[in-house]
Amino acid sequence: MEITSLLSISLGAILVNNFIFSQFLGCCPFLGVSKKLDTAMGMGIAVTFVMGLASAITWIVNEFILVKFDLLYMQTVVFILVIAALVQFIEMFLQKSMPALYTALGIYLPLITTNCAVLGVALLNVQNQYNFIESTVYGITGGLGFLLAIVLFAAVRERNVFADCPKCFEGFPIALITAGLMALSFMGFSGLSVWG
Amino acid sequence: MNIGKQFKEGLVTNNPVLVQLLGMCSTMAITTSFFNGLGMGLSVLIILTLSNIIISAIRKIVPDKIRIAMFIVVIACFVTCVDLSLQAFVPALSKALGVFLPLIVVNCIILGRAEAFCYKNGVLASTFDGIFQGLGYTVVLLIMCVVREFLGSGAFGGGVFNGGKGFQIFPEQYGAKILTLPVGGFICLACLIAAMQWALTRPKKKEESK
Amino acid sequence: MNNIVIAILVLGIMGGVFGLILAIASKVFEVKKDPREEEILGHLAGANCGGCGFAGCSACAAAIVAGKAPVNACAPAGGENAAAIAQIMGVSVGATEKKVAFVRCNGGTNAKKRYEYRGVKDCIGATKIAAGPLDCSFGCLGFGSCVEACKFGAMSIGPNGTAVADPEKCTDCMACAAACPRKLITAVPYASKVHVACSNKDKGKAATSVCAASCIGCGLCEKNCKFDAIHVTDNLAVIDYAKCKNCKVCTKVCPRGAISPIPTPEEKEKFKAVMKAQAEKKAEAAAAAKAAEDAPKA
Repeated sequence: MEITSLLSISLGAILVNNFIFSQFLGCCPFLGVSKKLDTAMGMGIAVTFVMGLASAITWIVNEFILVKFDLLYMQTVVFILVIAALVQFIEMFLQKSMPALYTALGIYLPLITTNCAVLGVALLNVQNQYNFIESTVYGITGGLGFLLAIVLFAAVRERNVFADCPKCFEGFPIALITAGLMALSFMGFSGLSVWG
Repeated sequence: MNIGKQFKEGLVTNNPVLVQLLGMCSTMAITTSFFNGLGMGLSVLIILTLSNIIISAIRKIVPDKIRIAMFIVVIACFVTCVDLSLQAFVPALSKALGVFLPLIVVNCIILGRAEAFCYKNGVLASTFDGIFQGLGYTVVLLIMCVVREFLGSGAFGGGVFNGGKGFQIFPEQYGAKILTLPVGGFICLACLIAAMQWALTRPKKKEESK
Repeated sequence: MNNIVIAILVLGIMGGVFGLILAIASKVFEVKKDPREEEILGHLAGANCGGCGFAGCSACAAAIVAGKAPVNACAPAGGENAAAIAQIMGVSVGATEKKVAFVRCNGGTNAKKRYEYRGVKDCIGATKIAAGPLDCSFGCLGFGSCVEACKFGAMSIGPNGTAVADPEKCTDCMACAAACPRKLITAVPYASKVHVACSNKDKGKAATSVCAASCIGCGLCEKNCKFDAIHVTDNLAVIDYAKCKNCKVCTKVCPRGAISPIPTPEEKEKFKAVMKAQAEKKAEAAAAAKAAEDAPKA
């Protein structure tokens, strides 16, 4: 596990295999919370935070409980329980110790429990057989990729409101087409591998 | 509890993907071939129906504060069962669906219907609700698969018909490959939702012009 | 059999441990909330408009409880709710005068266009392109940024193309004023019916060339007001609402129709006839007085 492998994981998570535009994980909040730039930023940061923590803790639980007792078929159930409990805990912790952060991000935390991206990154870590550091890095940079995608998307969507649009395309359809065009542009990064 | 009304709602007027706008992650990611779409749609239908039955059966004894956690546990159990069954009996499908099969746990459709319908209605109504909403989801998946496969690679029914190869309607090199990529997923779904929005507002326009 | 037991045990213990951690955390990280906050929140408008100056209704409720905001901080809630909040806090509330928004422009179709604008239908955006598509650099562009900003549906674009505030729906949150790039919207007392519908600070020819309904600063309104309620400052008429009695004489003498409510042509004719009759009577009386003065001499 060298620095270059971590860097290539990060590059992959943020640009090449962006969680939204390549892997389709986390689309629901991506489309739901991206009407304004500030809320998009808040959601992105909250998701990054939760994804990093969830990656770390699910790896620990997987390694020391599920593998030890040969219970790998329970992964789905255990991971989702861990994530739900973790998000609840973070919400309570933030409310008490960092109220300013809670008012900024707190409302997005319950939404993140059912976010495909969080459970997805936990399962992908297992699938790719990453070790602890690699899992955590993948989680955090995956969240950063989500943040990049949602902030860019919100910026475009804010302008879309003023443009003329066929009546039946107003709202979600034109947003999806915008996302598709952005996915097309992110395709330009495919095959990019700087560190091998 | 009007079955005909529930059928119409599940398939058209309250379609989980096109009207309620839930469960879009899997809709766009999976629909690259007919086999995947059919497999995913049927899996979601089975999980949705079974979890609807259990959740509406236990709704009276679940405390209000932890109901979401309980829903998730019930759904996760059924997802694990279906996941393991597919790994055993249809490994090709399990491999094709990849990480999206366990992700059915957090599929907004199932949690959404549990919260919105099963928590307030009886077992029989919830069963039919599960079946019809699942059917609505499957139909949307199949339409998207057909469009993306046909326009993208000229095939129809890849993985299911013609012994698994699908019917090649026109040669693959004339297909718009872009539709089989993520871009195509976004744009296809956008057009379907637009078509549904147009179809749903048309009768109202007719009434207004009268 | 062993596997099943292990699975049940592991999952059961994990569930128990998580439950315990969460239960302890909910006690350790408990945030004590003043129960009055919930009550006050119920009396607030609930639109999260930001008119009180706080980030949302919950923040306003918290500020009121902490004593950092007055009990009538929420303008949209109205006098009744302010009184209820005052009762919860145990203080008395001062009488507040209801204010509504007014758009100080009636240009629209009266105003000359400098160029045909095709772009983002937003006033803020339009103002940035060569100082706006109107010749008048003060006037309302009519693209509706204020309409978008209003959460109570009180703003709309009127028949002549300028923004209009509905005083019945307006709650004086001033979100429209914040959105207007030309700062045309001000708060006026609900009871006042006469307002100057122009913000053009240019004089005479410069004002007439840009709009058919602009205030040119001629001062006729000031001369004819019996209550000293309207004055011309900076080539623009300004009404002092403390003195204005809503007699509407200024609206009728204004040669440009820049003061709202703009009189119809019939009303103007009637008014002119009345003024003429008054002037004639005055002239007769003056002539009679002069004759009476001359007579004793003769």
